[in-house]
Amino acid sequence: MTTNNDIDTSTPETEGVDACMDCANPIIRIRDVFKFYGSLLALDNVNMDVLPGERVVIIGPSGSGKSTLLRSINKLEIIDRGTIIVDGYDLYDQKVNINTLRQELGMVFQSFNLFPHKTVLQNLTMAPVNLKKMPVKEAESMALELLAKVGIAEKAHVYPSKLSGGQQQRVAIARALAMNPKIMLFDEPTSALDPEMIGEVLDVMKNLALEGMTMVCVTHEMGFAREVSDRIVFMDNGKILEVGKPEHFFTAPEHPRLQRFLKQIL
Amino acid sequence: MSMNKSSAPRVIEITDGASIPDPRDKNLISAWSLAFVGTILCTAYLCWNDPDAYLEALKSLPGGVLVTFEVTACAILLSLPIGLFTGLGRLSRNRIINLIASTYVEVIRGIPLLVQLFYIYYGLGRLFKVPAIFAAVIAMSVCYGAYMGEVFRSGISAISKGQVEAARSLGFDRRQTMMLVVLPQAWRTILPPVGNEFIAMLKDTSLVSILAVGDILRKGREFASVTFMYFETYTMIALVYLFITLILSRCVSLMEAKLAYYDHK
Repeated sequence: MTTNNDIDTSTPETEGVDACMDCANPIIRIRDVFKFYGSLLALDNVNMDVLPGERVVIIGPSGSGKSTLLRSINKLEIIDRGTIIVDGYDLYDQKVNINTLRQELGMVFQSFNLFPHKTVLQNLTMAPVNLKKMPVKEAESMALELLAKVGIAEKAHVYPSKLSGGQQQRVAIARALAMNPKIMLFDEPTSALDPEMIGEVLDVMKNLALEGMTMVCVTHEMGFAREVSDRIVFMDNGKILEVGKPEHFFTAPEHPRLQRFLKQIL
Repeated sequence: MSMNKSSAPRVIEITDGASIPDPRDKNLISAWSLAFVGTILCTAYLCWNDPDAYLEALKSLPGGVLVTFEVTACAILLSLPIGLFTGLGRLSRNRIINLIASTYVEVIRGIPLLVQLFYIYYGLGRLFKVPAIFAAVIAMSVCYGAYMGEVFRSGISAISKGQVEAARSLGFDRRQTMMLVVLPQAWRTILPPVGNEFIAMLKDTSLVSILAVGDILRKGREFASVTFMYFETYTMIALVYLFITLILSRCVSLMEAKLAYYDHK
């Protein structure tokens, strides 16, 4: 799971920090969260808040638990202990309908996961038409607007297999936006892309950030993190090791593990 | 495979296996046409050459063709939902449902169809009077439902987890995800083996003749037992079955091609 040069021998027992905010009503509240894969501790007492309109970027080496944390926010991963409250609803409350709550949480995956049997337009209209009972005409005009926004309106009627990786990922972002979510979750959205296509996807994400969308983004794109994020969270071994504003995060990292991580990737 | 030269790389040939012609493959198309044209020419020649035997034998069959179609169509329509629910049951996280579906498959797979046919005919007959054709359809559906359950299961589990996660993350529930995202895609993987099952089913309906259902085989046997032209009759029966299954396999491959609409190539 971990790459060899990531194994930390100098500081075997590090205390995690929390990424809570001093705010009465964050839109995402994560408290005392633990997640095990067998005997492996994937999330180790994670505490984090996300404020409305905030852009949080989570970075860290592979196997550090950052994707697990992101996926647990919309309950694609079931946590073993702790609480996660999204938009005022406890994910593990029996009375909360997770399917309704997920409509508020747009998710973008590393591997796009577009529906190959549907055209680009149908990929976008499927959820609003079936879940929000939006009339097809209305859904289609909205979908075309979104496609124009991500710059591929001309591909509305083709199947996803005809698109490049970058185009597919932009469609995936538009598909998530079609449900008009309050929060967007990005799980390494550019990691599966050829280098020349990363820029077009990041541009779409940057525009989204400018519009004030609440975003939680797991990424290896440090330039994007620096430019767009309000806060950066660094994770390793299932713990949050450092939290900070981008300007201090890259110039004066405190944790030795983060210092080494940045040295390796920058 | 050629292994006589030690320097030559060892080649392991993997054949298609499936009997359904791939319409994109010209060799297979011509194989199908060859068989089809051959069947027609052979039938025509025999009937022209010896009308008293072959043409008369052929004339005795049409009523049976209808019954064979009836049994096949009913059994297909019934076994498809049985197969779908069995496949879903085998994938279910609910222990009890899973156990029921798995036991059904294990038991049915282990009993010959002919035995099941008798068993259901006489078993149902003890409770209430059932027409033989009804028992035949039930037995065929129950038997092929189990086979198709396995086909559905493998087809559904071949859809990547990411597809399910994408649908769930949009807010679709389990059932909607299955109906809108998984099954429409799985159907493509499922169709070729299910098509094979259809063809096997059509051929296996010949077993129901033993229950005095008047299918092709039964009609032919009745004709032969009167005229004593066994060889001629069975030749015609074989040609008629071949003709029908060839048409059916063509239909399946056309459907397959149609379902490939969203492919890259």
